[in-house]
Amino acid sequence: MNHPQRAAVFTSDAERTTWHDETLWFVRQKRDKAVYAIPEFQQLRQLASDIKEHTLSRLDEYLEQFERNAQANGVQVHWAADAAEHNRIVLGIMRGVGATSLVKSKSMLTEECHLNPFLVQNGIAVVDTDLGERIVQLREEAPSHLVLPAIHLKKEDVGETFHLHLGTPKGEKDPQALTEAARLHLREKFLVGQVAITGVNFAIAETGAVVVCTNEGNADLGVNLAQVHIACMGLEKLIPRTADLGVFTRLLARSATGQPVTTYTSHFAKPAPGRQIHIVIVDNGRTRQLGRPDFRASLKCIRCGACMNTCPVYRRSGGHSYDFTVPGPIGAILSPNIDLHQHSSLPFASTLCGSCTDVCPVKIDIHTQLYKWRQLIAQANELPAAKKWGMKLLSSVLARPGVYRFGGKVAREGLRLLPHGLTHATAFNPWAKARELPEAPKQSFREWFEQQSSIPTGQA
Amino acid sequence: MSSSRESILAAVRANRPPATALPPVADFGGEASVERFTEWLHFIGGQVVRLAPDQPLEDAVQQLFPKAVRIASNLLPATVPVNGQTTTEVLEAVDLAVLQGELGVAENGAVWVPEANMLHRALPMITQHLALVLDHRHIVATMHHAYAAVQHTGAYGVFIAGPSKTADIEQSLVIGAHGARSLVVLLR
Repeated sequence: MNHPQRAAVFTSDAERTTWHDETLWFVRQKRDKAVYAIPEFQQLRQLASDIKEHTLSRLDEYLEQFERNAQANGVQVHWAADAAEHNRIVLGIMRGVGATSLVKSKSMLTEECHLNPFLVQNGIAVVDTDLGERIVQLREEAPSHLVLPAIHLKKEDVGETFHLHLGTPKGEKDPQALTEAARLHLREKFLVGQVAITGVNFAIAETGAVVVCTNEGNADLGVNLAQVHIACMGLEKLIPRTADLGVFTRLLARSATGQPVTTYTSHFAKPAPGRQIHIVIVDNGRTRQLGRPDFRASLKCIRCGACMNTCPVYRRSGGHSYDFTVPGPIGAILSPNIDLHQHSSLPFASTLCGSCTDVCPVKIDIHTQLYKWRQLIAQANELPAAKKWGMKLLSSVLARPGVYRFGGKVAREGLRLLPHGLTHATAFNPWAKARELPEAPKQSFREWFEQQSSIPTGQA
Repeated sequence: MSSSRESILAAVRANRPPATALPPVADFGGEASVERFTEWLHFIGGQVVRLAPDQPLEDAVQQLFPKAVRIASNLLPATVPVNGQTTTEVLEAVDLAVLQGELGVAENGAVWVPEANMLHRALPMITQHLALVLDHRHIVATMHHAYAAVQHTGAYGVFIAGPSKTADIEQSLVIGAHGARSLVVLLR
């Protein structure tokens, strides 16, 4: 299935689609309110973009500096070329300490690497501890948003899931009560977790520390009760200085949810006595993206999700319609780098309105990159036949004024004379799925214009 | 493993963009007032209580948390002793932790709590309720000033902004997700 087909599944429930659309737009509005309260917000975006640009330009040096400092802190640093190596490293660490259970806070990287199914196959019990992630884990689904993993679900769905798995009363759908049930359920897991995995929001080259931002406190609770902390990061998470966190922490939560800052901004540098910290630095296609001048700016992404909250296509098609770890506009420019063939429909899941670019806190030119991917996808012959031949036909018509004029006449007459059932047959005319075509005008603009020019002027 | 390290670094070297300058450290001024700090902490679900200069901390805590039995703190007589070796079972039963905050941030209500102030790294999150004592002269305007003041974030340290919360169910805000159910900043 491609994006339009999966989106069709989502939009078949019109009421839910509207709810999804409005809820995410509400988050966008909260973002605006938070952003407008900071007079220097646009300067902060530029600074963030420049810091990331600089870091990418010397990324090898910063990675080595980070590794040196982390090792001096007593942290073990691992390098993984791809998802499979990342997963092997994590399993190796767990086996090394004889652990069979794992508590995990939010990490899109481990989703990208499909770590959970790999560990489960190898006999490890994995518990996602972010509430939204726990909900989708119990439902055996993927997260549908970067920071709101269960945004595709209604409270009734969550109530049903918790009734099934946590034994909450049937029909319980109060978010307060459901969250309390999850708190009690997950506390038990925290208390016995031997190993804790976290993602990484920022890795600081000059100190070797990793910074993790959460609202729930699940990362800190998991890490600080477990013997071993494994922090998994894409290599683009580096920033040079602790002081740069001033810029990024001011942007991240405001862009994501409209909060002034996340509840917990946690800086992990040295393991507590007798405990271990491991950091796994993952490539998995990132160095390839770094080598694409048109697309390398996508590596600046700080995973705030603002581009999806604002995207008219994401809001109305849902995160699962992208079928990629990172959905929305940013996912649509990251995914073709991973597999152009499999994700060839995603750069077309956009109106190119540019709203994503406008809200991006690190100023990634998202809609420009979407447009550029479209060119590459067409060159790679990955366009669906209807789109490919439609485009060819259209360009040949637009290149020939005579054919264009004739075509216009045929369409005007056809619309008037042909039966509605034919002109609005959705098999030929997807436009007509939820819309009426306008009434055909009697003449074209050119005909009208020629008529006007033949009327003598200056007499009025 | 080391071969992946070398191949990744080689690929970065081959593919990195042309050099650009690192911008100087940002500083945008801003208002470092108790009022602004209080306003933001209330906005994110926390509470600010101003202590009178001569008011003993125990009295304020007793008034605010009359039902708290198991209290962990190094600032007042505690009922649960906690240090780095305290077991999870003991930590899990703590009703209230009263800890020293180093620095408050006026623009967002966050308080810097370094490891040295935590008694145990998990205590600020595992406790049911959290009270942070803060000197009102240690409030800065923005995160830029906060990081400038903190300098080095140490072995472990956290900016804590309000109580633990989530909106993962239909975007409904619920206070008390996994960490502390409430957060009070006691301003001296």
